[in-house]
Amino acid sequence: MYAPGRHRLVWVLLLLPALLIVLGLTVYPLFQVGFLSLFRYDYTAGTKEFIGFFNYIEILKNRFFLTSIRNTVVFAITATAAEVIGGLLLALLFNRPFRGRRLILPFLILPMMLSTMVVSAIWRAWFHFDYGFLNTVLGSVGLGGVRWLFDPDLALFSIVLVDFWQWTPLAFLILLAGLQSIPNELPEAAKVDGASRWQLFQNVTLPLLRNPLLLAVLLRTVDSFKLFDKVYALTGGGPGLATETISMYVYREGFKFFNVGAASAGSIVMLSLSGVLAVVYAWKILKGQV
Amino acid sequence: MKGREILWKAAFAGTVVFVIAAALLPVFWMATTSVKPPGEYVSKEPTLVPRRVTFEHYANMWEHRFFRHLRNTATVAIGSTLLSLAAGFLAAYAVVRFRLPAKLDIVFMFWVLVVKMLPPVVIAIPLYKTLRVFGLLDSLAGLIIVYQVYTLPYCIWMLLGFVKEVPREFEEAASLDGASTWQMLRHVVLPLVGPGLVAAGIFSAIMAWNEFIYALLFVHFPSRLTLPIHIANYITEHETLWGELMAIGLSASLPVLLASAFVQRYLVRGFSMSLK
Repeated sequence: MYAPGRHRLVWVLLLLPALLIVLGLTVYPLFQVGFLSLFRYDYTAGTKEFIGFFNYIEILKNRFFLTSIRNTVVFAITATAAEVIGGLLLALLFNRPFRGRRLILPFLILPMMLSTMVVSAIWRAWFHFDYGFLNTVLGSVGLGGVRWLFDPDLALFSIVLVDFWQWTPLAFLILLAGLQSIPNELPEAAKVDGASRWQLFQNVTLPLLRNPLLLAVLLRTVDSFKLFDKVYALTGGGPGLATETISMYVYREGFKFFNVGAASAGSIVMLSLSGVLAVVYAWKILKGQV
Repeated sequence: MKGREILWKAAFAGTVVFVIAAALLPVFWMATTSVKPPGEYVSKEPTLVPRRVTFEHYANMWEHRFFRHLRNTATVAIGSTLLSLAAGFLAAYAVVRFRLPAKLDIVFMFWVLVVKMLPPVVIAIPLYKTLRVFGLLDSLAGLIIVYQVYTLPYCIWMLLGFVKEVPREFEEAASLDGASTWQMLRHVVLPLVGPGLVAAGIFSAIMAWNEFIYALLFVHFPSRLTLPIHIANYITEHETLWGELMAIGLSASLPVLLASAFVQRYLVRGFSMSLK
């Protein structure tokens, strides 16, 4: 590679602003969180005391924290599965050319362009027991109202429904792009060989969609793992602990109860759970595999 | 055979219509509710299309200082995006054109991607402490800085792809003509990655426009709140004042929807950061 300019260290100056920002806003804070998680703080006395891994032992015995891990994992798996399968069906549906397709596509992806808070505002109104759209529709076909956000067994899945509405378009876009990059000759050749529709899908289309599928699954898993905004706006974590998530736990401990040690330990646990997926994603992207 | 084909086509058309309705109905409901009189939505028989149109909710929204929240949001979105584009453009150029020692470029890019995926809440406490040290809590400038956590990795990665597409011959020619690195960046590379800067900038601004958690944690001063926080407060404080809430929601979304019309063809790249 050639080096323009008179100085070989020009790149240092070019990289420096971004490097400083990235170091200062991500690397340093991560080290600090790890450090903070090893202390007990007493803000009234203004002291801190080194307690090793005691915070971790405490939170891993804490029912609130364990429930929030369970909810987060259940949410991430259900939402990702629903969105990727839904996106795949949509992509297959819209892969065939028909009149008006180009016009329709921008509207299909409208939900994911909206702010999560706007999405939550609409759905909170739709979930309303007495006046909400969903219960009105159920009532008009003679069914009783559903307590979408107040039934402990249902609330988390109502949030999945909102996430499904908002983010299926992303899986759809990724998979549609994948489908359209499959050369036409392959399905044609399979048809000539007498393959049925299902065989064609199973043996030709699906294997070729491996990487886009992987990308959609990784992106949606990692993103749904962060779940915070929707819970904050729709349920506040309730009823009971039914929709508490790890992000909510860290927020509450750190910023409501000023329990900095526990919140930091919770952050590190969350980081190790989602960090693995983030590393897989970064690795696959850098190698150009997805 | 003919009848079966027609049936098949009808089923296909029906499915397409259902999918579009499912995607658009909530947005349609938001738009119509924002112009419905309250009696039409807080009712046992709500309407989908308003019987009477009213703009009272927009008037109320304006009275409740919507414009101030809009201005705060725009300031933060534009400020953080400009900072990220500037730092990101230089960094992307350095990574693409120079051989960095010890695979620093790979390490840097790897970290950029990892950061993009990290849950933002895990570094909230240290960021809070840092902002407090610099007296930037409760300020839009503070938000612009912490939003670099989202927008900078994003801009670097997007611009990387666009800088790679610039033919090196142009720079070599400029270099032979005696242009300095700075002149070359400004007059040769920058114009060529112009469309890339616009695309990355729009995505980054949308991201900052919609951001919630840091805005919630780091700014509490009522006149400095951004729109997502304004909406969240509204949702949690008023049970069924949907008319005004939907007026705010729609008004907050319009700039984003308009901007997104310009980046339709970069959507997959923009949202997945994948190379293809």
